[in-house]
Amino acid sequence: MELYKYLPKTNCKKCGKPTCMAFALDLLQGKVKVDDCTPLLEPKYAKKYEALKELIGSEEGKEKELRINVDTDLCDGCGICVTVCPVNARYCPPTLSGKAPNYPPEKHQLFQVKMGKCELLNLEHCRRLDAEGRERECRVCETYCPREAIKIEYV
Amino acid sequence: MKRVTCTGCSLLCDDIIIRTDGLFIDEVVGTCLKGKEHFDQITAKNRLLYPSVRKQDKLEKASWDEAYDKALDLIKAAKNPLLYGFSTSNCEAQLKGMKLAKELDGFVTSNAAICQGKVLEASKEKGLTLTSITEVINKADLIISWGANVAESIPRLLNKVLFSRGKFRMTGREIKTFVIIDPVQTASFGVMGVRDLALKIEPNKDIELIRLLKEECCKVGSLPPEGVAGIDSDDLKRLLLHLTGAEYGVILVGQGLLTPNKDFDLLKEFLELIDLIQSKQEKGRISLMLLGGHYNMAGFDHVSLANFGMNGSLQFKNKERVDSEDNLVSKIESENFDLSIFVGTDPISHLPYKLSKKILKHPIILIDNKRSATVEFADIVLPSSITGIENSGIAIRLDQVPIQLQKIINSPNNIPSDEEILANLLLKLHQDGEK
Repeated sequence: MELYKYLPKTNCKKCGKPTCMAFALDLLQGKVKVDDCTPLLEPKYAKKYEALKELIGSEEGKEKELRINVDTDLCDGCGICVTVCPVNARYCPPTLSGKAPNYPPEKHQLFQVKMGKCELLNLEHCRRLDAEGRERECRVCETYCPREAIKIEYV
Repeated sequence: MKRVTCTGCSLLCDDIIIRTDGLFIDEVVGTCLKGKEHFDQITAKNRLLYPSVRKQDKLEKASWDEAYDKALDLIKAAKNPLLYGFSTSNCEAQLKGMKLAKELDGFVTSNAAICQGKVLEASKEKGLTLTSITEVINKADLIISWGANVAESIPRLLNKVLFSRGKFRMTGREIKTFVIIDPVQTASFGVMGVRDLALKIEPNKDIELIRLLKEECCKVGSLPPEGVAGIDSDDLKRLLLHLTGAEYGVILVGQGLLTPNKDFDLLKEFLELIDLIQSKQEKGRISLMLLGGHYNMAGFDHVSLANFGMNGSLQFKNKERVDSEDNLVSKIESENFDLSIFVGTDPISHLPYKLSKKILKHPIILIDNKRSATVEFADIVLPSSITGIENSGIAIRLDQVPIQLQKIINSPNNIPSDEEILANLLLKLHQDGEK
């Protein structure tokens, strides 16, 4: 609704959407960009355009960067994250039965326990970035860490 | 790169990967923090590197020959020695220890005697369903941790029994129910899911819970509506449903169940409860897994049973095993010994002051790999190598499965293993006898 306030509200259909409201909804989901609304670029809407850019920009930044923090002071290397992580289980079959994965690590492996502490190897293949639908909401490593050493954050 | 078995705790993880150049261990992958510290022990500051002998109230560095001679003098003077420890040495060393005790007409016992050995002892009457970790991975659907902080005492156990996905349990954590019965809110409570049952029982009230469950097993409907020992009746009903309905249940028996009490025998009643539940089971069975601390906690009982036909402590007279009611505590309390030989343990700091005070009255021979409180009071200290890193052997895992350990590197100063030291003592004793 807040986004709708800053749009021209003329329902000009220049963006290809039937109404400005529909455009606002798509804007929220990230399907269209602010620049797709051509009337907004006109000088009389300059203030609204900047406000909208700022609003969208801040939200976009929030959604972008996923970070998994592993607190090495708390971690005691139990390896539960290695076993529960679905990506690990898929690409390193030994972790299915609770064993440590192969070393040197596989390309897709997310977690590994080295020198008694958990290590995050790469984030690219984490389900939160690399999966579809409900699988994107995966939080198993954070949920089952008994020491609460793993935190999923967006920075 | 090499796959080895870690001897940091009784789980004996056999999937540890290390990088070594044959002299030092550079990298350890896959161990928990406990295991990593165990590998660090090789070069630790408190490592014992040379034998020492007490001269005028002071421990002094000595040669191996001198230390052996002094030890033999003490051993030959003793009429009734006490041998204790053996939980951090391999099965071969345990057998050598028993043979030494036989030679000396002594009393030999292990750390298990005041720990999980009690369960094995009690189960001789009742029978005990044991299970192996692989079976648990593939079949278990109910895991109960009773009186133990599994997540911190044996860090990788939950990983193997609860989170792993096996042949008949493909979904892993989702299909397995986890129940904790413990008075303390430990880190293990952190792995709880929605279906799981966290029972925070009042301290020292386990016996009430066990008795109530036994009653309910015999006569349905005898659960009090207000619950028992801080657990409400709904949770009790769920616990019973889990126990009787499980296809393959495992109870992890912790130290909490072994607390001695003069009014009742908690362990006996617990095993009776398992028996009753077993008879009420609809589909499967309940098995036990004993959570020991030291890596070869279970070994001593197996070795003594195989070689001398008796679980646990052994008393020898005239080079024959005799039946005895004694245990470690009664032995020390009645001061029925004149020399103590400790192998890989630290009784001065582990046992209560009342007992450790009595140990100090008699000479002590210590075989260990690290500096401990007992070293400060020992008359002869013989350093030994770390089994599983510096010498090989067989150890028995917490699920009573024998595991072969391997040698990775040489010990510093070529320190012999527990087994070699005990064998040397035996050999020298024989040679002296022939003279």
